Amino acid sequence: MTNQLNQVLLHENNQVGSNLEAWLANGGGEGLQNALAAPEAIIKTIEDSNLRGMGGAGFPTYRKWQFVLAEKDAEVKYLICNGNEDEPGTFKDRLLLEKTPNQIIEGALITALATGVNHLILYINPHEEKAVEAARQAVAQWEAHPLFASVADSLGRPLTLRVFLSSGLYIGGEETAAISSVEGGFPFPKKKPPYPAQHGVHGQPTLINNVETLAHVTHIVKHGAEWYRNLGVGQASGTKIYSLSGDVLHPGVYELPMGTSLRDLVFEYGGGMLAGKEFKAVFTGGPSNTILTSEDLDVALDWDSVQERRSRLGTGAMIVISEGTGIVKRVTEYVDFFADSSCGQCPPCKIGTRQISKVLRKIDTGRGRRAELDHLVNLGKLLPGSGRCALVDGAVTVLNSSLDKFKSEYEAHLIDR
Amino acid sequence: MDHEPITIDVEGRSVTASPGRSIIEAVWEAGHVHVQGVGCLGGVCGSCRAIIRRADSTEVKMVLACETLIEAGMQVTFVPFLERLSDHPYQIDSFKDTWQLVSQVNQTFPEAAHCRHCGGCDSACPKGIKVERGVNLAVEGQLGAAGDIFETCIMCNLCSHICPEFIDPNHLGLLVRRVVPSLVVRPFNLMQRLNQLERGELYFDYEAPEASTEERD
Amino acid sequence: MTNGVPYETAWQNYQTGSSDPVQFDDSSKESLLKQFHPDYQTNTTTTLQIGANQGDVCQRQLAQVLQSNSLIDEVDLAGASIVDTDVLIIGGGGAGCAAALVATENDARVILTTKLRLGDCNTVMAEGGLQASVGVDDTPQQHFEDTLRAGYFKADRKLVSQMVMDGPDVVRWLIQLGMQFDQESEDPFASLSLKRAGGTSAPRILSFRDYTGLEMMRVLREAVTYRPGIEVWRSKPVVELLSNEFGHCAGAAVYDMRHRKLMLVRAHAVILATGGIGRMHLNAFPTSNHFGATGDGLVLAYRLGAKLRELDSFQYHPTGVSYPRHLAGSLVSEAARSAGATLLNGLGERFVDELQPRDVVAASIIRECEEGRGIDWDGQVGVWLDTPRLEQQRPGILQRFGSLRHLAHKCGHDPAEKPFLVYPTLHYQNGGVVIQRNGSTSVPGLFCAGEVTGGIHGRNRLMGNALLEIMSFGWRAGVAAAGLRHNAPHRRLTIEHVHKWQRELTLAGLPLDNHGPQLYPDYANFNLRAHIAGEI
Ligand SMILES: Cc1cc2nc3c(=O)[nH]c(=O)nc-3n(C[C@H](O)[C@H](O)[C@H](O)COP(=O)(O)OP(=O)(O)OC[C@H]3O[C@@H](n4cnc5c(N)ncnc54)[C@H](O)[C@@H]3O)c2cc1C
Ligand SMILES: Cc1cc2nc3c(=O)[nH]c(=O)nc-3n(C[C@H](O)[C@H](O)[C@H](O)COP(=O)(O)O)c2cc1C
Ligand code: SF4
Ligand code: SF4
Repeated sequence: MTNQLNQVLLHENNQVGSNLEAWLANGGGEGLQNALAAPEAIIKTIEDSNLRGMGGAGFPTYRKWQFVLAEKDAEVKYLICNGNEDEPGTFKDRLLLEKTPNQIIEGALITALATGVNHLILYINPHEEKAVEAARQAVAQWEAHPLFASVADSLGRPLTLRVFLSSGLYIGGEETAAISSVEGGFPFPKKKPPYPAQHGVHGQPTLINNVETLAHVTHIVKHGAEWYRNLGVGQASGTKIYSLSGDVLHPGVYELPMGTSLRDLVFEYGGGMLAGKEFKAVFTGGPSNTILTSEDLDVALDWDSVQERRSRLGTGAMIVISEGTGIVKRVTEYVDFFADSSCGQCPPCKIGTRQISKVLRKIDTGRGRRAELDHLVNLGKLLPGSGRCALVDGAVTVLNSSLDKFKSEYEAHLIDR
Repeated sequence: MDHEPITIDVEGRSVTASPGRSIIEAVWEAGHVHVQGVGCLGGVCGSCRAIIRRADSTEVKMVLACETLIEAGMQVTFVPFLERLSDHPYQIDSFKDTWQLVSQVNQTFPEAAHCRHCGGCDSACPKGIKVERGVNLAVEGQLGAAGDIFETCIMCNLCSHICPEFIDPNHLGLLVRRVVPSLVVRPFNLMQRLNQLERGELYFDYEAPEASTEERD
Repeated sequence: MTNGVPYETAWQNYQTGSSDPVQFDDSSKESLLKQFHPDYQTNTTTTLQIGANQGDVCQRQLAQVLQSNSLIDEVDLAGASIVDTDVLIIGGGGAGCAAALVATENDARVILTTKLRLGDCNTVMAEGGLQASVGVDDTPQQHFEDTLRAGYFKADRKLVSQMVMDGPDVVRWLIQLGMQFDQESEDPFASLSLKRAGGTSAPRILSFRDYTGLEMMRVLREAVTYRPGIEVWRSKPVVELLSNEFGHCAGAAVYDMRHRKLMLVRAHAVILATGGIGRMHLNAFPTSNHFGATGDGLVLAYRLGAKLRELDSFQYHPTGVSYPRHLAGSLVSEAARSAGATLLNGLGERFVDELQPRDVVAASIIRECEEGRGIDWDGQVGVWLDTPRLEQQRPGILQRFGSLRHLAHKCGHDPAEKPFLVYPTLHYQNGGVVIQRNGSTSVPGLFCAGEVTGGIHGRNRLMGNALLEIMSFGWRAGVAAAGLRHNAPHRRLTIEHVHKWQRELTLAGLPLDNHGPQLYPDYANFNLRAHIAGEI
C-alpha cells in the first residue's frame, strides 16, 4: 500500500530544491515542451484531467483559465501563484515551494501558454523563509534559461516572473485580498463582481491558482489527462497532498491517490492514533473547516465523496482529534481564529464571528442554555454570504458542521439539558 | 393595512407578533423575556444593536432593534454588550500642555496611527458617521475637525467592536471632543458670573415678594 | 379615549385649515385641568395605608408598588457573597455618575451598580438643555423665583436656592470634564448661547444642539469608566436595600443578571439615583422615558422608611408621538412649539395657546381627543403638531432640530411636508424622596439624588431644571456620602425592615403576593423568581 505514497509531486526525484538543472535532468521540462508545441490544446487536457483547485474551494481549474483566456484584448494579464498558506492544519504549500519550486514555476509557465497571462507572481508567505529562498533561487535560474525565452516568444509579449512576499496574514490568501496585496495595499478582499478574471491586479485580467494546483498542471501536461485520471481511486482523478496533524503517530505531508480513504490516511500512513487513543473526528482544513467523524472513516477523500458527507475536502488538511477532546472548545478556537483574521470591512463578519465565539464559550464553560444553542443555529443561518469574501462563511461552516455532527455534545454542556 | 400576524426568527426562537411592531416589541408581544440589550428605546443609547437579514435577501445589516419594524421571515440576532477588546484609559485633567495635545492624544490611542482604511467602522455606524475620517484627522492633529465628525455619536461601540486594529474610534473621537472644552473653552458670560459669585456680589433674597405664594394670588 | 376624526378626513381638514391666531379663553384653566389632566382625576389617586406617608394622596399604580412586598426573603440571602465599599451608588444616569465622580474626589471607594448599562437612562435622552443662570440680564435670584412659580410654590426653598447657586459651578465642572455647549460663535471665549424656556423671566437654557443629554452622558460615562476608585456594575439591579440593627441603610441586595444570583453590598453610605417612573405607564399613558424608569428607587426607599412627597404629581409632556405605534411616547421637543409650531385638531383648528404651561397644553389635547376632535390613525389617536406651516413661515428652521428630523424620519415622514400626530406622554415624576441639602433622607445612611427625589420642582418642573438638579444634588450627595467612609463598618446586614414591613402589610390587610420594585416593565415578561430558578 505504501507504494502509492508520493508518486508524483513529492516523488523523491522531484525533490531537488531550487536546482533547475537537476529538475530538468529528472524529467522536468517535458510538460512545458508539450505545451509549447500545442498551447491551444492545454486547457482541454486540463479539463479532461478533472483537475480542481487545491487552495480550498475545489473550483474546476480549466473553467477559471477559460475566463482569463477569453480576455483576448488585454495586453497585460497576471497570474498569482498562491502560496500564502496560513491557516491551522495546512502545511503543504511551503513544502512544495521549498522542495520542488521548479515544478510550480513550470506549471505557471504552462498556464501562461494556456491563458496568455504574462506576469507571473509567486505569492509567498514571508514567514516561510526557506520556501521564499528556494523560490527566489529557482526564479533566477528560470529567467536565464532558454525555455523562459521560448515561452515569451510564444506569448508574443514581455514575460515576467517574480517572487512577491505576502503580508503573512491569513486573509491575504483570499484571492481578491492577494490582488490588493500585489497592488501594494493592505490585503483587503474586494467586492465581487467585478471578478479577478476580468478586473484583477491594476484592473487587468488576473488568474489566481494555488501552488499545488500549478504543480499538478506540470505533470498532467507531461503525461496526459488519462494517465492523471488513472492515478485516482475509483471515480477520483490524480493525487492530492494531505496535511495530516493532530493526535496521530506520524503527522506530516502525504501525497496519495485522490480518493484514498480516511481510514487509510489515518491508520496506515499516519500510523494510527497517538498513544492508543480512540479516534473521534477529523477537522478538514482550509477556508471552510468541516468535520468528519468515525462514521466517515471509510469515506474516500475526494471532492465529491467528502461533499456527500456534508463536509469539504478543502486544502486536504486533516486535523485528527481523539475521544476526550472537546468539540465545542475546538470549534471555539477555530472561530476565534476567523474572528481575529477578519479584516474588518464587513460588520456582520467581524461582529458575527465574535458573537459566535462568545456564545460558544458560554456553552463550553457550562454556562449555556438551550436558548444559546438555538442562537447558534440562528447565527449559522443568518451570517453566510454576509461578507465580501468567504471568511465569514468559513467560520459558519465549521460551526454548522459541528452542530450537524456533534449536536449531542453541545447539548451535554447545557445547564437546562 | 394588513393585520395578519408576522413571524420572525430571533436568535433561533420563532417570534410571532402583530404587524407594525418593532423587533423588541415583537419579542415582548410573543411573551419572551427580553430585558438586557434594551436601553432608552429612543435611539440614543445604542444598546439594542442587532444584525438582521430579511427574507430572500443576501444583505445582512446592522440596525437598532427599537426602531426596526418586523417583516415576515426576518432573521435577527442581537449584538449584546461585548466586552471591549482594548482599553484606552486616561484622565482628562492629565491633558495640560496644549502644545503637547496632539502627541498626547496619539500616545493615548497609539493604534490609531495604524488605521488600515478598511472602512468597516463607517459601514457599521448606525448614525452614518464618517468614523474613519475622524480617526485619520485626529492622528493628523486636526482635533477640532475630528471632534466635529463624532458630534452625533451615540457611543454604541459598534465601530470599536469591528475595528481590526483595536483603535476604539468612538473613544478616540470622544477624547478629542473633550480636550477642547476642557483646555480651551472659557465662555465670557460664565466666567463673569463665576467671578461675581466668588466675590460674593450676588445678593440672594429668600423672601423676595416674587418668591412667595401670596404675591401670586 | 373615543374614536376621533378618521385620518383621511382629518388630513383634508388639515390641508384646508389654517394656523391663524385664535383667541383662547384662559379663565377656564382650572376647570380644564380638573376635567382633563390625569393628575386631577379622582379615580387616578388613592390614599397610602402604610409607611412614612400613611394617609397621603398617591397615584393609584404608584401606591400599589409602594405598598408591595419585597422581591426577596431571608432565605435568599443565604450564601450570597458580600462585597464591601465606602459608597454604593444605585443608578447609572447623570445623578449617579456625578455622585460617583465627586465621591472618589473625596477619597471614597465607589461601586456604581446599574440595572441596564452605564448611561442607559433618562439623562441620555434629554434634548432641550440645562438651566443655569449665567446670562448678563439674569440672576440666580430670578432662577429661584421662576422655579418656585413654575412649581406652584410647592417646592422646598432651601433646595431650590442651593441648586440655582450651584448652577454656574455645575457648568464649569461639566466644561472641565469635556462637555461642549453651544456658544455664540466659534471663539472659545464666546458667551454660552442662552435660550428662554416657557414661563421664565430670562434666557437661561444652555444646550448642546438638541441632544444635550447625550453630550452630557457620554462625557460622564467616559469619566466614570476611566476613574480609578469607581467600580461599575452593569445588568445588576438593586432588588432591596439592607438595614443594620438600628434600621439605618447599610447597603443593598443586588441581582446579578448574568450569573443569576444575589450579591450583598455593604456600604457606609448608599446613594439612590434610580431616576423616574415613566415605564410604569401611569394611567395607561405612553412614555418618553427609558426602559428602566420603573420607579424602583421610590419603592426601595419607602420600604426602608424614607419619607416621600408629591406622589400625585407628574409631568405629561404635551407632544409625544402617537403614530406610528412603535414610537408612541417618543418626545417631540418643546423647542418646536417655542419656535412657533401650532397644534391642530382633526377639524384643522387650533384649540390652545401652545406656549401655556405643559399641564394646560396636555389637558387641552386630551380634551380634544376625548371629545372626538382628535385624529384616529389606525387606532392611534392624537392631534397635529404643525411643523410644515412652521417651515413655510420660517424657512430653514427645521434644519436646526436634528433630533426632531431624525424622529420624523423614523416615523416615516418629512417634517416639512407632514405634521406629527402627537398625544401627551408621561414624562417626569415631579415628587419623590424627601431630601435635605446634602441629599440625605430621613433614613440615616441613605442619600438620594436626581429624578427620584422630590421638593425641587414642587408640582411642576421647569424645563431644564432636571439636568441641573442631577448634577447639583449628585455632587452634594457624593460629598456627604464620602464623608461617612470613616464610620465603623455595619455589624449586621439584614432585611429586618422587610419583616417589619410585612407585618404592616398584613395588619393593613394588604396583599403579600404583590411584589416590588418592578425592575422592568410588565410587557418585558421578566420575573425575578423564575429568572433565579433558570426557568426564563
Ligand atoms: C425624553 C426626555 C427628555 C428630557 N429632556 C430634558 C431636558 O431637556 N432638560 C432637563 O433638564 N431634563 C430633561 N429631561 C429630564 C431629565 O433627563 C431626567 O429627569 C434626568 O436626566 C434624570 O436623571 P437621573 O440621573 O436622576 O435618572 P436617570 O438618568 O434616568 O438614571 C437612572 C438610572 O438608574 C438605573 N436604575 C433604575 N432602577 C434601578 C435599580 N433597581 N437598580 C439599579 N439601577 C437602577 C437606571 O437604569 C438608570 O441608569 C428629559 C427626560 C426625558 C425622558
Ligand atoms: C479567507 C481565505 C483565505 C484563503 N487562503 C488561501 C491560501 O492561503 N492559499 C490558497 O491557495 N488559497 C487560499 N484561499 C482560496 C483562494 O481564495 C483561491 O480560491 C485559491 O487561491 C484559488 O486557487 P485554486 O483554484 O488553485 O485553488 C483562501 C480563501 C479565503 C476565503
Ligand atoms: S468577510 Fe470578513 S474577512 Fe472577508 S472582506 Fe468581509 S470583513 Fe474582511
Ligand atoms: S460608537 Fe462608532 S458606530 Fe456607534 S455611533 Fe459612535 S461612531 Fe458610530
